[in-house]
Amino acid sequence: MERKSFISGGLAALGFAAIAPFANSCKKDSTTTATSTTTTTSSSSSDSCTITSSETAGPYPTLVPSSYVRSNIVDGQTGVALTIKLTFTNTNNSCAALSGALVDIWHCTALGYYSEYTDTPGGSYASVDYTASHFLRGRQTTDTNGLVTFTSIFPGWYSPRAPHIHVHVYNSAGTSLLITQIAFPTDVCNTVYTTVSPYSDRGVQDTANTVDMVFSDSLANELSTVTGSVSAGYVLTINIGVPA
Amino acid sequence: MSKGIIRLAYRKVINADSQNAWEKYVSDATFQEYLIQSQNYNTDKKYFTFAELRQHVPNADKLHFLVSASVINYLKQLNGKVPDILNNLGKVFLPFKNYKFEIIDSDIRDKSRHRIAVEFISEPLTWIDTVGNLLLVAFTGTVPESNHGILTEMFTMQPFLSIHSLKQEEIYDTAI
Repeated sequence: MERKSFISGGLAALGFAAIAPFANSCKKDSTTTATSTTTTTSSSSSDSCTITSSETAGPYPTLVPSSYVRSNIVDGQTGVALTIKLTFTNTNNSCAALSGALVDIWHCTALGYYSEYTDTPGGSYASVDYTASHFLRGRQTTDTNGLVTFTSIFPGWYSPRAPHIHVHVYNSAGTSLLITQIAFPTDVCNTVYTTVSPYSDRGVQDTANTVDMVFSDSLANELSTVTGSVSAGYVLTINIGVPA
Repeated sequence: MSKGIIRLAYRKVINADSQNAWEKYVSDATFQEYLIQSQNYNTDKKYFTFAELRQHVPNADKLHFLVSASVINYLKQLNGKVPDILNNLGKVFLPFKNYKFEIIDSDIRDKSRHRIAVEFISEPLTWIDTVGNLLLVAFTGTVPESNHGILTEMFTMQPFLSIHSLKQEEIYDTAI
């Protein structure tokens, strides 16, 4: 908000971003008037004065987290319910639970698409009201047991990959520790992809885990366990070792 | 009696040294998110600036979208009004729903070089006339008050503000 005057008194950090805390010792000015903004300070081409914002100062902005930070990443996407439970251990510390790590996951829709800017006529503008622009992407911090949980949908697939979920683990300061992917048991995929719309519009995956470019040589430690059913939803679990 | 229905575009550039609290939060948040997301495109840690990533790494352009998640909750704090663009009464007035986020450049070694832009696209307005350097507009859908005419706004065109689109109506008489 482009108010130039903020009430003095300092900003309490009313919330923290999921990542490194900001320098939140805001120097507060007294209620001073200043010209409107930092960007449009040049005068207009005529010789009239630039308008200075003159309305009641709103409440000062509060720190808010990235919109990735949420456990439920469904954002209105259609698909079979999937609870994703990832447990991380530190391979540099006798496989103790890895707590306080940031975990980003992302995967495709039931039809195999990722959320991204799409090129639309008039040029790919997102809508601030449309909260679902980053669907199926989320960020959580591991708890004391090294666990993060996401509520999502069963991903679809796209050629030439086997079905998968992307995972990127960072330490609490945001430094990358591990980029990996999670594979799905083939029998569960076959059930979902043949019996439930809209997955069934496309049918089973065209690439098996055993020949997938990522999983073919590492399936043992990237294959998840998936339990449940189409009607009740599925739960995916996997343990992931991270050199932290 | 109007020149047409227009949507305005305002491109707000935010530098790391901004003194404005909201802009500082946006700059900090987007830089932190950039540090996180850029690691997806720099696994060998060869590069430092966004310009280098765009030049050398396929798909590094996705970073505009990926980093934009960090700005969304700050955009909601604007309560649907484009910042900086004031009407001639000195108030923000221009409603928006659509935006596009852009990383102009950044450097993982140097926060001071982080520069981003948010382009706001306004809701449609009826451009009625231009008076001096002021545009006279009305929000489409404004219900006329009985015999007192429609509610209007006036504002100046200014740097970084443009007309994004124009839909001309059938013109019967352009004179007011």
